[in-house]
Amino acid sequence: MRPLTIQRLFLQCAALAGILFVVVIIALKAGAVEVSLFALGRDLIRVIVHHGGEIKSDYGLIVMNIRLPRILLGIFVGASLAVAGTGFQALLRNPLADPYVLGVSNGAALGAILALLVSPHLSLLPAVADLLTPLGAFLGAAATIAAVYFLGRREGQIDSTTLLLGGVITGSFLAAIIMFLMTSETGSNLRGMAYWLMGNLSTSLQPSVYWILWLGFLLGAGAIYTTASDLNLLLSGEKEAMHLGVDLPRVRLVVYIAASLLTGLAVSVSGSIGYVGLLVPHVMRQIFGSDHRVLLPTSAFGGAIAVVIADTIGRTVVPPAELPVGAMTALAGAPLFIYLLRRRMA
Amino acid sequence: MRHTTRFRLIDIGGLLLPALLAVMVVAPTGWAQTSSPVATSAHAQNSATTQSGTAVQSFREVVDETGRTVRIPQPVMRIVSLAPSLTETIYALGLQDRLVGDTDYCDYPPEAQKKQKVGGAINPSLEEIAHLRPDVVLVTKHLNTLDTVHSLDALGIPSYATDPRNVDEILASAKRLGDVLGAVEAGAALAEDLQHRLDVLRQKIGALPPRRVLFVVWTDPLISIGKDTFIADALRRAGAVSIIDSKQDWPQVNLEEVAHLQPEVLVFAESHAETTLQHFDVLATRPAWRILNAVRDRNFAVISEAVNRPAPRIVTAIEELAEKLHPEAFVEKPASDKVSGSTVLDAKCLCAR
Repeated sequence: MRPLTIQRLFLQCAALAGILFVVVIIALKAGAVEVSLFALGRDLIRVIVHHGGEIKSDYGLIVMNIRLPRILLGIFVGASLAVAGTGFQALLRNPLADPYVLGVSNGAALGAILALLVSPHLSLLPAVADLLTPLGAFLGAAATIAAVYFLGRREGQIDSTTLLLGGVITGSFLAAIIMFLMTSETGSNLRGMAYWLMGNLSTSLQPSVYWILWLGFLLGAGAIYTTASDLNLLLSGEKEAMHLGVDLPRVRLVVYIAASLLTGLAVSVSGSIGYVGLLVPHVMRQIFGSDHRVLLPTSAFGGAIAVVIADTIGRTVVPPAELPVGAMTALAGAPLFIYLLRRRMA
Repeated sequence: MRHTTRFRLIDIGGLLLPALLAVMVVAPTGWAQTSSPVATSAHAQNSATTQSGTAVQSFREVVDETGRTVRIPQPVMRIVSLAPSLTETIYALGLQDRLVGDTDYCDYPPEAQKKQKVGGAINPSLEEIAHLRPDVVLVTKHLNTLDTVHSLDALGIPSYATDPRNVDEILASAKRLGDVLGAVEAGAALAEDLQHRLDVLRQKIGALPPRRVLFVVWTDPLISIGKDTFIADALRRAGAVSIIDSKQDWPQVNLEEVAHLQPEVLVFAESHAETTLQHFDVLATRPAWRILNAVRDRNFAVISEAVNRPAPRIVTAIEELAEKLHPEAFVEKPASDKVSGSTVLDAKCLCAR
């Protein structure tokens, strides 16, 4: 492991931030209406200065109300999943771990489906009703996190193997409940559930939700980052890490809770989008090495870049229709994973 | 891909596996292999009726709408329907007494719910079907799977498949079904009556410019209909045109495109108008939806869910939508008060049920 300097970390992150910026600009330009870079810049400045009240043009409304929020959501989801994936892979010491491995996505899906089922029977204010599905999803995720945490404890501490098994079993149990609910439901509700499960970024959220999401990201990713050095030591083995003075129970707890929180937030607004949390950490490890102080921030950028690219292709390739981003990431992710696997073996 | 397997496979429950979902998007439909252009009107009347004295059972050979030749025992006394649309058609033909089984989803007319259930349309219980000893099982290509048909073949149970792709074919299909099931006159009368209603409607609104609409199947994500579906054809009959020009049957639509094309009216198919009303209030709070003029001006129409089923009742849904989109054409005395026939759509009038 090369010694880390602040300078090198900064340069690497700046390079990735530059790529993300270019990707975002391309994503902002691509879509149903063409936008010139000049008009784009002018409108962006107007939004920042005047809080968006002045934009009247057709493309301006579309870009500011639909495209930009969607790209921002993609950045959040991609970064969260990649950081959570990195965390889980280190915590469980398993290269196949991804953010969904401990059943959080199934818990969120079940919560969302229950919300879809009950919402027609409640007479709520429209703005509240609109939050019910993401809220249900997040509560489902939180309940799963708690349940798996208690399943994964041995002698008062989290045990990696027990946690993994407990999470996988909880996930498949929840999937069985979802199956049951879906087969006993008919018509449009069923369709809604199926689409929710496919994972996509087209949901239009209330502006306040974005603040909650980004706050959650800063908290979760920040917490995981504080354990980065410990995660490095953990690479050489759990016993070795303990001998080197790592407070293993605390590290496990922090990473588990924070990574699950990130996953829960991401799933609650986008359904489950596969392969990002699994693959991005692997790619970043190949490029930047396995020092978690570098791997965590670079994975965040990498996840954001991957999801924004996948979603931009998905929403522009077959207009006026679009492909769900989950399908795009899986189509690209599976072959890439196999390629990485073969290359490592060669 | 033309024939919406996407729904069907998802309904089966390919849960939470992005890879599997990705496969679904490109999965071929089992039916596609048998798809042949045989849906022509004249079907083979090779009545293979055994005239010789001792034969007990007589059969009739017909070619169904997917081009398969089916031997059906005569007369048809016991029918199992594997699709809500077929169940509705059987009732419309007055053959409900011969319907011995239908699916969990067959909810119209309400009496149909009391028939013996054989499970869902996608995965019916073959044991239950065999137990009912049907003379013929009715299936439809847009909903049932080829697997089911093959399994029925293996059990020696004849299955007759329909495949109507537009309103004309829905009428023709109902008429043919009447013939196949031994109710020729009822089939002809039904088709004639429906055709007459469509003709009357065309006289009323045929000359009016069509309204540009977005047919909303689902909002999160936004799902609409493709141009080759019978629903798109039904919209055309109702004096509307879908703004979505997609070859997929149930495309997930990019909201940007919708904002760019700005539909005049959003059309929802829902059995409970209040639910849609509430739903619409929710949409109106979202920044991305508020830039649609139709959402801001509350121009939306709720019509019967019958529009989703290729059955005779679709004509009722067409009439309903036509009246909501072109109220001026349905005013009885247009001479007395010309001003009220304004072209501006009013949310209240659209939702009045």
